[in-house]
Amino acid sequence: MSRQVGAEMPSKQKPMRYGHTEGHTDVCFDDTGSCIVTCGSDGDVRIWENLDDDDPKSINVGEKAYSCALKNGRLITAVSNNTVQIHTFPEGAPDGILTRFTMPANHVTFSPDGTKVAAGSSDFMIKVVEVTDSSKQKTFRGHDAPVLSLSFDPKNVYLASASCDGSVRVWSIADQTCTTSWLLLQKCNDVINAKSICRLAWQPGTGKLLAVPVDKVVELFRRETWDSQFDLSDASITQPLNVVVWSPCGQFLAAGSVDGNLVVWNVETQQCIERMKHEKKYSICGLAWHPKYKQIAYTDNEGNLGLLENIGDAEKPNDKVASAVAKDYNDLFDGDDDEYLNGDVIEPPSSPKTGDHEDDADDLMQPPGHVRRAVIDDDDDNSLDIGLIKASSSLLEKEDDGDDQPGGFSALPPSSTQQPFYDGPMPTPRQKPFQSGSTPVHLMHRFMVWNSVGIIRCYNDEQDNAIDIEFHDTSVHHATHLPNSLGHTMADLSTEAILLACESTEELASKLHCIHFGSWDANKEWTVDMPKDEEIEAICLGQGWAACATSALLVRVFTVGGVQREIFTLPGPVVSMAGHGEQLMLVYHRGTGFDGDQCLGVQLMELGMKKRQILHGDPLSLTRKSYLVWVGFSAEGTPCYVDSEGIVRMLNRGLGNTWVPVCNTREHCKGKYDHYWVVGIHENPQQLRCIPCKGARFPPTLPRPAVAILPFKLPYCQVETEKGQMEEQYWRSVLFHGYMDYLSKNGYEFDENAKNQAVKEQQELLMKLFALSCKLERESRCVELAALMTHSVLNLAIKYASRSRRLNLAQLLSEVAVEKASELAAAQQEEEEEEEEEDFRKRSSAGSSATKWGQLPGRNVQQDQEVEDEEETDACEEAEETPEVHKEKEPNGFSKGVTSAEVTTPKPALVASSSRGRVNPFKVSSSKKEPVVPSGNVLDNMTKYSKKTSSSGSRAADKQNPPVIKPLTPKPKTKQASAASFFQPRTPASNPGEKTVEEREEKAGNESQEAKVTAQENTENRRPRTGFQMWLEENRANILTDNPDLNEAEVIKEGMSRFRMLTSEERMVWTEKARGGRVNDSAEDKKRKRPPADEDEVKKSQEQKCEDTNVSKKSKPLDPSTNNRLSAFAFKQS
Amino acid sequence: MEPAEVEFLAEKELVTIVPNFSLDRIHLIGGDLGPFNPGLPVEVPVWLAINLKQRQKCRLIPPEWMDVGKLEEIRDQERKEDTFTPMPSPYYMELTKLLLNYASDNIPRADEIRTLVKDTWDTRMAKLRLSADSFVRQQEAHAKLDNLTLMEINTTGTFLTQALDHMYKLRTNLQPGEGSHSQDF
Repeated sequence: MSRQVGAEMPSKQKPMRYGHTEGHTDVCFDDTGSCIVTCGSDGDVRIWENLDDDDPKSINVGEKAYSCALKNGRLITAVSNNTVQIHTFPEGAPDGILTRFTMPANHVTFSPDGTKVAAGSSDFMIKVVEVTDSSKQKTFRGHDAPVLSLSFDPKNVYLASASCDGSVRVWSIADQTCTTSWLLLQKCNDVINAKSICRLAWQPGTGKLLAVPVDKVVELFRRETWDSQFDLSDASITQPLNVVVWSPCGQFLAAGSVDGNLVVWNVETQQCIERMKHEKKYSICGLAWHPKYKQIAYTDNEGNLGLLENIGDAEKPNDKVASAVAKDYNDLFDGDDDEYLNGDVIEPPSSPKTGDHEDDADDLMQPPGHVRRAVIDDDDDNSLDIGLIKASSSLLEKEDDGDDQPGGFSALPPSSTQQPFYDGPMPTPRQKPFQSGSTPVHLMHRFMVWNSVGIIRCYNDEQDNAIDIEFHDTSVHHATHLPNSLGHTMADLSTEAILLACESTEELASKLHCIHFGSWDANKEWTVDMPKDEEIEAICLGQGWAACATSALLVRVFTVGGVQREIFTLPGPVVSMAGHGEQLMLVYHRGTGFDGDQCLGVQLMELGMKKRQILHGDPLSLTRKSYLVWVGFSAEGTPCYVDSEGIVRMLNRGLGNTWVPVCNTREHCKGKYDHYWVVGIHENPQQLRCIPCKGARFPPTLPRPAVAILPFKLPYCQVETEKGQMEEQYWRSVLFHGYMDYLSKNGYEFDENAKNQAVKEQQELLMKLFALSCKLERESRCVELAALMTHSVLNLAIKYASRSRRLNLAQLLSEVAVEKASELAAAQQEEEEEEEEEDFRKRSSAGSSATKWGQLPGRNVQQDQEVEDEEETDACEEAEETPEVHKEKEPNGFSKGVTSAEVTTPKPALVASSSRGRVNPFKVSSSKKEPVVPSGNVLDNMTKYSKKTSSSGSRAADKQNPPVIKPLTPKPKTKQASAASFFQPRTPASNPGEKTVEEREEKAGNESQEAKVTAQENTENRRPRTGFQMWLEENRANILTDNPDLNEAEVIKEGMSRFRMLTSEERMVWTEKARGGRVNDSAEDKKRKRPPADEDEVKKSQEQKCEDTNVSKKSKPLDPSTNNRLSAFAFKQS
Repeated sequence: MEPAEVEFLAEKELVTIVPNFSLDRIHLIGGDLGPFNPGLPVEVPVWLAINLKQRQKCRLIPPEWMDVGKLEEIRDQERKEDTFTPMPSPYYMELTKLLLNYASDNIPRADEIRTLVKDTWDTRMAKLRLSADSFVRQQEAHAKLDNLTLMEINTTGTFLTQALDHMYKLRTNLQPGEGSHSQDF
């Protein structure tokens, strides 16, 4: 054993699969080798057609099965109720109890002729029982500890046994005496404590040798002399061996160790021909050699089943071995892979050529990922040759890196140089087409679809072949039961139709069958036959259309009534498709994926009026080595998909149609084998509807699974910190409200209040983040956050900064604010011009929505402005009440304003309640100020500043109730009116129309000082836009005298046209006037009180300290009028 | 308290249903319910669940404990212990009765559940009677019984207190009667 040669071996180790629950398992083949039989600690015996059998037949034999043996259609199992049972095979019917012990039996084995069964038990006894007559029992007593393993002599003379007492004994079956005994094993008191279960084995055929796994070697004892013939060992074995098993020919011996190594030797030459490592290094506790092929089935003590194929295919050439191979085994183990020598001219090819070509072919077929090494010990002719190969071949060098074999031989290049050996990534089989929300087709009872509309189940058993359709909402349609005579396998369901499709049969073409229950005529069904040899592979329904993708790479679109519409070619074989509204999403294979990855592409198109493609076959990103399991739309119409790793991704239309992972369902799973089966996604409220499946990927139809709801979570960093959490929340909110922009862009209706709510939520989060950054002295971060803020929140931020003595920051922020305001002003100017041209009534009746949502989506300036206006309303209200709170309570209106302004102001509550169809009569509204439609200013309605109006209950309800337009009158404002005007553009204080406001302000005195400051800041950033308003106030009388019979709206119209006729200079004058400082009215102050919200202590103290000084300091950058006010304020305060 | 009143209280317990209609949040004095989305489980009080079920507007998802395995465990535990074991719900008896009466088609193995709950109930009632008996026999002044549900207290509460009153009366009458011949008056 001087040298070990690693030879490239084409034998194939398939990935293991889950067979039983964790615990001891056993495995055997049936007589013909057509199936693998395993038993495990779950008490089941499973019959596997092959390793890929998804639905193995299961026979329950007891609570725990320790061992099983199969011969002549009899399945013998040792189970935990201390019995050894017989079941018929493959039916699995109980056929009586063979024998009983006082403790569970640990191993059962058939005699080679199948007439007897030997069982060894934990009660130290061994019994040999006739299978046909269980009364004929022989008992072998002598072991002093639980019996571990047994093996029948193939000649039926001896029985070998291993026990926990450390002894391995050979018994004479005839007289039940112990023929010989070796003390080989470590003693222990119970099977579970045994280092190895010591599955020993006689050599088949002659029974010349008895193989016993003793620690790390296999000892072979010679029959009759009972002396140790030789040992088989290997360097890769570092842990005790558990199991040995002979090949049926007696030529090879396989052994499995407790750390998951599997080694196969050629017994004759004592060479290791095969070496395998368990992928998870679990202890191998069951081994079975296929009766015909070169396969070994193995199981581990975690319940997994594995299969090792093509053993010895690439066996090291060795003349002696090859010639020694039994004739009947030549075709199985053409163990002469001299191709590896053929490459080497120096070495005379000495081995038989028989297997050469087959092996070559084999080699090309084998994925290199499964390459193994065989170790061959040979002192002879090969040693020279190896050096040469080493020098000449570097092809496989890199492969060694991935190999976990001990290093001694890994460096040796094992391959031939002659054959081109493919070492690159291996292609992944393409995933088959599927319908989202369906369970596999081969199931007898399956879901054809489960979506947000309903459930379609398919029953396909002996007595019935039917389809059951059930609607979640019974008002859509009643439940239906259809016979499935055509054998439909695909289905989709929408609120207007059921779409079914079947594959073609020999006589019938592939059919698309639609039941359009939403149709108003009597003929609700239609069927379309596909052309010959064209199979429907995926179907989907949208609103008013149905589509199917076929094997001819065609997508056929139909109207829901059955008219054929568009037809187009798919770029690749379809994987799945989904429809929503007028959107159609197609997922197809763009190409071949490698190394377990799929290579998918996605098309998203709109089939409505616009007929355009949004995603032009972009690659669909999946988690590595995963495949697509669900594709569809959220209830709001955003495309989403789920991969087999449980990652849910959603299209972010706000960022150039990128995909964002929004949830990892596997994070919510308790067990390793648990999955969530997605059935629907909702963006508002944020819900991922799915069905938890224990130990499976999909649910059974019975018992009826219950839907669970998972939250979404973007994979942001450091979400355990407050900052990360808020960032995640902010961006999630932005993402999950992106659909509104899309809807508005496409002219759909949607709930504006939801949008406002969302913006509020986002701004609040920003403000919190801002406060947090302030606390952490991260001023530049503060400025960055400020860039995301809307105008009003920015003002709050400025206030916060100034109060926490961050004057520098406050100044920077106000610069940002001014910048923003000027941008807005520009935008506003343009807009106003447009607006003025439009009909007033129309404008006002459309409410703010028309203006607001008629624009481009996305967080562009205008929109920000609009939203901000509303924000501002709140903010200003907040500011108004601040002084009061300030006086009466601890002086901290501010922190409240910062943290909860938007939430606690009465108005949002109102908005919220009015947004719903029904108002909670029991809800105590905090709002005393019942919002009356402001009458003061027609521009309220005209400009987008009408938030006050529109958010005042009446507007929210619906657009049919437009805010009433009242004429512009110069009369003193009512409280409500002034409250409304507060949100209007400020006019100069000198303006007569504003006098009342001024007066009231005086009355409000000190209390409103702070408010004034805020207002002042606001004013600074105001857009000039009341020039017209002011002009109209003055010129109203003129208009009326000229046209006495005009009604109010017409007056405004007329006024507008006149105003437009003014020269630009004149207009500028008015605009300038409007631009002048105006302070807000604080008449509301006394009326509105709010209990201070939970206040931040830090902020409170900070604020208290700095409030006096800050305000005056901060005002420096402001204009003179502000300065005057501020100095007055400072004076009064002191 | 009447059993009907106890049952009324039990009807406030929340159960999960899967509605087959769509309805916005409804605002009631006792709190808001809903929103109801078809196919999405929602928690509602038993009274509403039963009402909806009777109108075939929903499918009921039985409470977690209403499962043969769990109830068997509870029954066995109850039989094993001398004291009262905690019940899965303070209204287990009422809920079982209500839900099995109105929604037995949504509860797997309803008959077995009925039997198991009845077994548990019987065991507990026997214990209650036994403890009342020993309480009276030993003439104790105090007794503490944990883990009793309202319905159980109601079955013996009135009777026991009245019986004790009577016995007290009889005893107090007996004492002077022995000393001074009460037959006289």
